Amino acid sequence: MASSASQLSLAAVQSGYGRVKVVQNVSLEVATGEIVAVIGRNGVGKSTLMKTIIGEIAPMSGAVSFRGLDVTRLDAARRARLGVGYVPQGRDVFARMTVGENLALGRRVGGAPAANLERVFGFFPILEKRLAQPAGSMSGGEQQQLAIGRILAGRPDIILLDEPSEGVQPNIVQEIGRIIRRLRDEERLTVLIVEQNLSLIRAVADRCVIMDKGAVVGEIAPEALDDPETAARYLSI
Amino acid sequence: MEWSGQVFSWIYQYFDNMAFLLLAASGLILIYGMMGVINMAHGELMMIGAYVASAAFYVGAPAPVAIVAAGLVAGLVGIAMERLVIRHFYNQLLSSLVVTWGLSLILSQGVLLALGPSTMNMPTPFGSFSVGGFSFGVYRMVLFATAIGLIAGVWALFRFSSFGVAARAAMENPRMASALGVDTKRVYTATFAIGSALGGIAGALFAQTAAISPFFGQNYTPMAFITVVMGGGASAILGLVYAALYLAGVQTIASNVFNQYVGYVSIMAAAFIGLLVMPSGISDFVQKRRARRMAR
Repeated sequence: MASSASQLSLAAVQSGYGRVKVVQNVSLEVATGEIVAVIGRNGVGKSTLMKTIIGEIAPMSGAVSFRGLDVTRLDAARRARLGVGYVPQGRDVFARMTVGENLALGRRVGGAPAANLERVFGFFPILEKRLAQPAGSMSGGEQQQLAIGRILAGRPDIILLDEPSEGVQPNIVQEIGRIIRRLRDEERLTVLIVEQNLSLIRAVADRCVIMDKGAVVGEIAPEALDDPETAARYLSI
Repeated sequence: MEWSGQVFSWIYQYFDNMAFLLLAASGLILIYGMMGVINMAHGELMMIGAYVASAAFYVGAPAPVAIVAAGLVAGLVGIAMERLVIRHFYNQLLSSLVVTWGLSLILSQGVLLALGPSTMNMPTPFGSFSVGGFSFGVYRMVLFATAIGLIAGVWALFRFSSFGVAARAAMENPRMASALGVDTKRVYTATFAIGSALGGIAGALFAQTAAISPFFGQNYTPMAFITVVMGGGASAILGLVYAALYLAGVQTIASNVFNQYVGYVSIMAAAFIGLLVMPSGISDFVQKRRARRMAR
């Protein structure tokens, strides 16, 4: 396995809702074990891009490949089973189901024979105590941990996180940052993260891809965001 | 002596009426609760089950085999219905009502054309017993026990199995379920097939108490429909049990105070009053009250 092998590759992807094009001609390569942050102001198409990558939205044109395999025509379920783990904005835990059932549902990501709960509890010990509780009754931070833990119960090769810091208290955001680093360092997981939280980006990202009006308009090193003017330009603060 | 027979008779009728509602509505409420579709052709699946069971019975199959065969055939018909028609109408209550009503007419008229209007009969098994001078059919009690067994089985399937967890996830948030690798289309097809098979089994069970004709299903669809609406979609299985307890209770009292016909009509009156108090059904009402109590 060459370390520079592309885990995820987008070629001139255009997508949107109905006839409204939101993502314009995006090309992007993410290498195995890389943590890439997608930044940009609100409404520039970051979440739509994520939904296109996981297969929730079919692209109007262009191609999405995952480990060299063209998945453009595959639906979200089949991409998930190939190892694409997705943590959406707003977390989308199954509120009426228990924490244990939510975790069990992660098994199909990457096609694990059974949910690997030990691994999940290693990262998020709180979930072990909450197993029988309805997921909807937990706090935002706990739900975020559940949403990440859910895909880690499977065998993802790449994880896509859409604003994991949103509505989560700062110490848990820090913890999530540490876990993302560990997943990459220990398991060579590839991470694509949409984020507005400067400290989380700084803690995890190898590089930042800048989106504006649906297109990728550039790339900067995370350190560049330490300059307040640069940060103000690319993040909605 | 006669007094004990009378009391037993009331209890017996209550259980018999409950069995009727539980069996007629179980498949229907499963499909409604999981997928937001009311299948007006459910009675026709029961009719198909009744024909399959009696055909199997007359070629010499034992009754349990005939009943399983009825469930299998109705399940397969359900898969075809879901793939060809229902799939396009999920969570569209009104469109699904019209479309499945059309399916119901096609199926019953189709069987009428193919098999003619004459009725068939199956013998009622198990004979009878008497309490305090009253005589009771054993089979009615078997029906009740079977209804409870089927419902408990379906509940356990959706509560504990990996399929059940995936099905509930697909119901709560289909997009997220897909993003986790759940094949939601297959889950819907399978759920619809299970609901249809329950209809076929119910048809086979009722075939041993009633005449079988192309319009067999029409004896059951209205009551099943009322039971489902009264039960509500918040919790399909609990709703079904609540609705059956309530409606069968009213029916049993009304048919003893007045007569059988009034008892039958009283189900509609009971549902009318029940829905005024609990517009989205009993299970929804109970769930909201429980949530309010927990919030306090």
